[in-house]
Amino acid sequence: MGDRRAFAALYQATSAKLFGICLRVLQDRTEAEDVLQDIYVKIWRNAGQYRVNGLSPMTWLITIARNAAIDRVRRRRAISGNSDGIDLHADPTPGPEARAMAASDRMRLTDCLGELDERHAQAVQGAYLDAETYADLAARFDVPLNTMRTWLRRSLLKLRECLSR
Amino acid sequence: MSDELPERDADKALAGEYALGLLPPDEAVAFEARLASDPQLRAVYADWAEDLAHLTDSIDPVAPPPQVWAGAEARLFGTRRKFRVGAGGRSGWLATLMGGLAATVLVLGLIVGADLMPRDPASPTDPAYVAELVAEDRSLIVFAAYDARDGTLFVERERGDPAQDRAFELWLIAGTDAPVSLGVLPQDRAAVIQIPEALRPRLDGAALAVSDEPPGGSPTGAPTGAVLAVGQITNT
Repeated sequence: MGDRRAFAALYQATSAKLFGICLRVLQDRTEAEDVLQDIYVKIWRNAGQYRVNGLSPMTWLITIARNAAIDRVRRRRAISGNSDGIDLHADPTPGPEARAMAASDRMRLTDCLGELDERHAQAVQGAYLDAETYADLAARFDVPLNTMRTWLRRSLLKLRECLSR
Repeated sequence: MSDELPERDADKALAGEYALGLLPPDEAVAFEARLASDPQLRAVYADWAEDLAHLTDSIDPVAPPPQVWAGAEARLFGTRRKFRVGAGGRSGWLATLMGGLAATVLVLGLIVGADLMPRDPASPTDPAYVAELVAEDRSLIVFAAYDARDGTLFVERERGDPAQDRAFELWLIAGTDAPVSLGVLPQDRAAVIQIPEALRPRLDGAALAVSDEPPGGSPTGAPTGAVLAVGQITNT
């Protein structure tokens, strides 16, 4: 029973953060609650994989949460036949996350994103938090899909290089 | 892609695309297959996952409503012996748990899983395959885990009940072959189904489905009612 007690403690310590992420990605409270429940079921079941994936515990949890939320957004879009809810042509100025991040201690990622072409930095954030696909990004920046991908891959390498410095 | 990146760089970019969820499905599957066997690639991916997770740093925590925990607990452990999650939490928990203890304890939880639910069928600790069957509207969710050592399939209905005087029947769909019945799901939430030896090699890459049938199952040997939920069988 100690395992379930630990699991309950893990939930208590981390669920608010993961719920915040679900709300941010899904922009819908009911769906976020639903996905959060799925996330903890998955965490319990996949705990055995944790040791081999090399991620820190919090990153592992955040990654599971973010991926589950993104999957749900994409399923929703597939069912409704279109992207809904999220404005793909959003204001290109940095969002509250980007601004708050700049003010936080986590300067490295912000700094390195700042070294990229601004649109590519937005593309990275759009993909991570808004479930944007290459097709979405190509439409948003009005370039052919293959061009979008080639650009972003180059930017990712640049970002990786900066982050590894 | 023909953007002429050296192989090492191409992998770095690829791992970044995977971490961002940008890879087309076929490329994502191929990348995951490589991840499973390539520790170096796993390290490249882990770097991306760690760095990109900081994109969530400024997202404020929001306490979820209590029914989320209640629901997760009911799905995982049934309704018996509830644990309360509530007041009394200290930040010290986080440090301890996140220091790696949680993972160890959770892993232990899986290893001794059978002891957690002594009277219920238990999910195998080291399943060869798992599948999650989900109805389009999520009204039915069934989890399945196959234990290759004894050829048993653990099946757990996490959400959804059969209609009045109807039953859920489980089917194996391998390639383009006609569905093969694996039996009617019992009233109990969780069950263990023995997979006939001839069918075992066909599980790899197949799908499982649940259909709505008369009590006792399809009289024809093929699904007669609506297929309610489908899930791909995946390697663990």
